[in-house]
Amino acid sequence: MITSNEIAGLIDDRPEDGVFRVHRRLFTDPDVFELEMKAIFEGGWVFLGLASQLPCPNDYFTTTIGRHPIAVMRAADGSINAFINSCPHKGARVCQLEQGNAKLHVCPYHSWSFDSAGRNRAIKGKAQGAYSDGFDHDSHDLRPVARFGEYRGLLFASLTADVGSLQDHLGEAGPLIDLIVDQSPDGIELVPGAVSFTFEANWKLQLENCSDQYHFSSVHPSYLRILERRTERAFEGSTQNIWDVDKVHEEVPGEPTGGTYSFDQGHVLNWRMSDVPQALPLFERNEILAQRHGTAKRDWMMHSRNLTLFPNVQFAENASSQLRIIRPISVGLTEMRTYCMAPIGESAEARRKRIRQYEDFFNPSGLATPDDTVVYESCQEGNASLGSPWLQGYGRGMCASRKGPDRFADTIDLKPSSSVAADRWLSDETVFHAYYRAWRDRVSAVADTEAARAKGVSA
Amino acid sequence: MSAAPGVQDTAPAPLSAEAAATLLYQEALYLDERRWDEWLALYLPQARYWVPAWKSEGEVTSDPDREISLIFYESRAGLEDRIWRLKSGLSVASSPLRRTAHTVTNVLVTDVSTPGEVEVKATWNVGVYDPRRKTSHIFFGRYAYRLKSTADGWRIAAKTIFLLNDNIPAVADVYML
Repeated sequence: MITSNEIAGLIDDRPEDGVFRVHRRLFTDPDVFELEMKAIFEGGWVFLGLASQLPCPNDYFTTTIGRHPIAVMRAADGSINAFINSCPHKGARVCQLEQGNAKLHVCPYHSWSFDSAGRNRAIKGKAQGAYSDGFDHDSHDLRPVARFGEYRGLLFASLTADVGSLQDHLGEAGPLIDLIVDQSPDGIELVPGAVSFTFEANWKLQLENCSDQYHFSSVHPSYLRILERRTERAFEGSTQNIWDVDKVHEEVPGEPTGGTYSFDQGHVLNWRMSDVPQALPLFERNEILAQRHGTAKRDWMMHSRNLTLFPNVQFAENASSQLRIIRPISVGLTEMRTYCMAPIGESAEARRKRIRQYEDFFNPSGLATPDDTVVYESCQEGNASLGSPWLQGYGRGMCASRKGPDRFADTIDLKPSSSVAADRWLSDETVFHAYYRAWRDRVSAVADTEAARAKGVSA
Repeated sequence: MSAAPGVQDTAPAPLSAEAAATLLYQEALYLDERRWDEWLALYLPQARYWVPAWKSEGEVTSDPDREISLIFYESRAGLEDRIWRLKSGLSVASSPLRRTAHTVTNVLVTDVSTPGEVEVKATWNVGVYDPRRKTSHIFFGRYAYRLKSTADGWRIAAKTIFLLNDNIPAVADVYML
């Protein structure tokens, strides 16, 4: 078993020496993966989905928490809860579909049935079953998650009861969620048509890449060149170029046009001012959003923003808007469930533009994401080499990071634990430190418990 | 129906199933042999190329303006961009290209009601080999084509690709479908 000291030793975090390095074992060691599943995915708050996926009583959708199948249900009374999607009788999944509506969920194996509040409604042939009294000492209901919470239509759960409140978990990242939800008075919805894909690499590569501005010009030149080609040809498709290469020459080196924010619980944001906000689907609401929320908050909504809520959800807003749920399957295999998210009630033209831009950039059949995922797989293969175990990808921005908010955060009263205000070229990497500090604290806390348990079993 | 005297009836005979199959096989061969320009030339400039996504276990998306597609292009220009990208050397997902072998079967002409046009349906699978990682995958599904007669022969006016196994291992591209 790995001890907490060993876990802590995998993150070389020495601010006084200007050093932050991550050990390659974090990406490749199955024992580390086992611990992080217990500590992070099955030991704390994770994102499930949106309340708008369950508009009506008795609506449900299915997902996973760590390695557990989960059903999220809106009960007949309108309340929402999440349950282990496994029949207490023999373990079969009770809800078979990704989404649906049912007052009664009947297990396909022996027809035990459950209502949309998870309560057992019938055990087939119970009266004739010659059960002992002891049988009813167990609850026959679907097992609810230990903790369930909602923040502004975002649903979260924890399989462990011993965690702080959802409010504590989200901490100061709340205003960044508000920037998404407040784009429409009715909130956000998922556009029909989910897309899922896998990559043969560790889940933390996805966690990092979403916050990594340094890779963009290296990994996505084909996408950028295609946008230029379309501009030249007045392409009749609908992707407009929000990355205006001419603006590069207008920028003053050192003058911030974006940056990163880190939060204590491992949440991070990286952001940039849009070169061409007029090309955004949201731009049609430019005036009304300013009236409703003030110009500072409106301007923030128009910035490109990639938000990660540690550990499993990312909201990427640039030319379009994506909600990504990260599902680690093994140390070297990850599944992504991805959705186009959109403000409810936007115009048909804005929605069409959002969808076209989404497909171009975000799909695994598009022009950008495949180049990312292939690189993750390349990293996974390279990280098998432990000869030089310390990765050096955490050093950019070390001398630019400041405690607390910067002047841009102040405009919306955002209170990150640290900030980097950056020009186009800085491409901060200290933003990853927040991930790994949260990772280290949580995994090492569980490591000793697991080691003691293993020792007790073997003694 | 007979043509008026002195006017040549130019509406061609509907495409036979055999001729339709030959066109589909030709397209598959162009992709597998990476004869990209010949592949593009099979498509009319205004051709629609569409790979719907799935919105439930049994239903694909049906309205590209309100629902997500895996790929949706309203003209051949979208395919030209894809080919440019494959050849550019600027996409790591496409360098090296994967090796592909298309198999197209069950070809039926399903609608001949519009003069000069036919609807063709078929079943396909594509074996994809990634020489970098030495891994294989098979994508499979159904095709629905609308073919149009032109002065240069029959051309693709619309192609819809139903990808049945849509949990995609890292990459799907036009030459793998």
